[in-house]
Amino acid sequence: MKIVIAGGDSKAEYIIKSFKDRKNELVVINPSFEVADRLKKACFVNVYHGEPWSHIALEQADAFDADLFIALCERDTDNYATCLMAKRMFNARKTICVVDNPNNVEYFKKLGLDSVISSTYLLSQSIMNESAVESLTKMLSLDDNRVTVVEKVVLSKFALCHKAIKDIRFPKYASIAAIYRNYQIIIPGGLVVLEPKDTLVMVTAPENVKALVRYFETEAPEARSRKSRVKKPTAPQEKPEKPAKPAATPAKPTQKRTRKKAE
Amino acid sequence: MKRTYVIGCGKLGASIANECSRRGLEVIVIDSNPSSFALLDEDFSGDPKVADASNLDTLRALGLENAGEVYVTTGNDNLSLFLAHASSTLFHIPYIYVRFDDPALGILVQSESTIKPVYPFQLTRDRLNRMKFGGND
Repeated sequence: MKIVIAGGDSKAEYIIKSFKDRKNELVVINPSFEVADRLKKACFVNVYHGEPWSHIALEQADAFDADLFIALCERDTDNYATCLMAKRMFNARKTICVVDNPNNVEYFKKLGLDSVISSTYLLSQSIMNESAVESLTKMLSLDDNRVTVVEKVVLSKFALCHKAIKDIRFPKYASIAAIYRNYQIIIPGGLVVLEPKDTLVMVTAPENVKALVRYFETEAPEARSRKSRVKKPTAPQEKPEKPAKPAATPAKPTQKRTRKKAE
Repeated sequence: MKRTYVIGCGKLGASIANECSRRGLEVIVIDSNPSSFALLDEDFSGDPKVADASNLDTLRALGLENAGEVYVTTGNDNLSLFLAHASSTLFHIPYIYVRFDDPALGILVQSESTIKPVYPFQLTRDRLNRMKFGGND
């Protein structure tokens, strides 16, 4: 693959190192002489010093026909011009434009760039995920915020806990991609019974996330306090898949409780 | 009356703004540096606004969407290119005049008929050639 890496300092260094490979032909171009020199020494690659948005510089660096063209300059508009130049004049197959202002993602795309990434947007997303401890909802947006992956932990007080997937009337606008239980991935089938501490990975459209979380966190109407007290001894044992009858839900904890008392 | 926007109040931007104001147009001049408005005439009748032109949302808030014409005279060619494209494709402004220092950028705007680029480099070169080798002005 021919990859052009335009601009950038530490980001460029990281990307160069991760793509440096016999299979890839790297063209590195940097507008700052100092950075170009530093990258040359740090990554052992040839770095062309020049402005990546300038036709002459790209020509001299031989940036034609790149399979991947990454613009990492500091200013958003510099990356915009660089990507346009790469696409229209240098026949780049795919350009990736990195922007600082998240609002520019939409604007740059409307103006014809194919892939625009905002580091601020990604940063805010990870901060939100890191700080989402109390709500236990983790989210990841894919394909430019058209698909959202939601990660939720099942609590025993939730209505869907201790029920088989086929019985919980899971909303049609989302789907369960996987269940994470005891460090193992379970592929969800209708007969799988959800247990407390299961982590569900679900896929939905961004506009349905709120509804999905609301559905998920709906609490079971009956025996709420009792169940949460008995929850502790629930050994995470692999149960054979059994169709859970709605009646089984309140019955189970009581059984365990009596057994414990008997011991 | 549709308003005239001048983005970038350097020597060129300020003189365009002054000229438009003298001709009775409603002018809005935008620059990120308030001290650049010192270049405007004392009797300048337009509206100088301090704003970062690289932020389209700010420009939208200043009503750029409804502009009758826009002069892009920032000191940065890439910013000018972006503003020209945005004015044309997103805001559908019918008359867009852009100053570019690098004539090579012309290739990136020639497909859009509403964008009229001006290259001081070429103008100077042609004028000097004519002064030296003759020909009509």
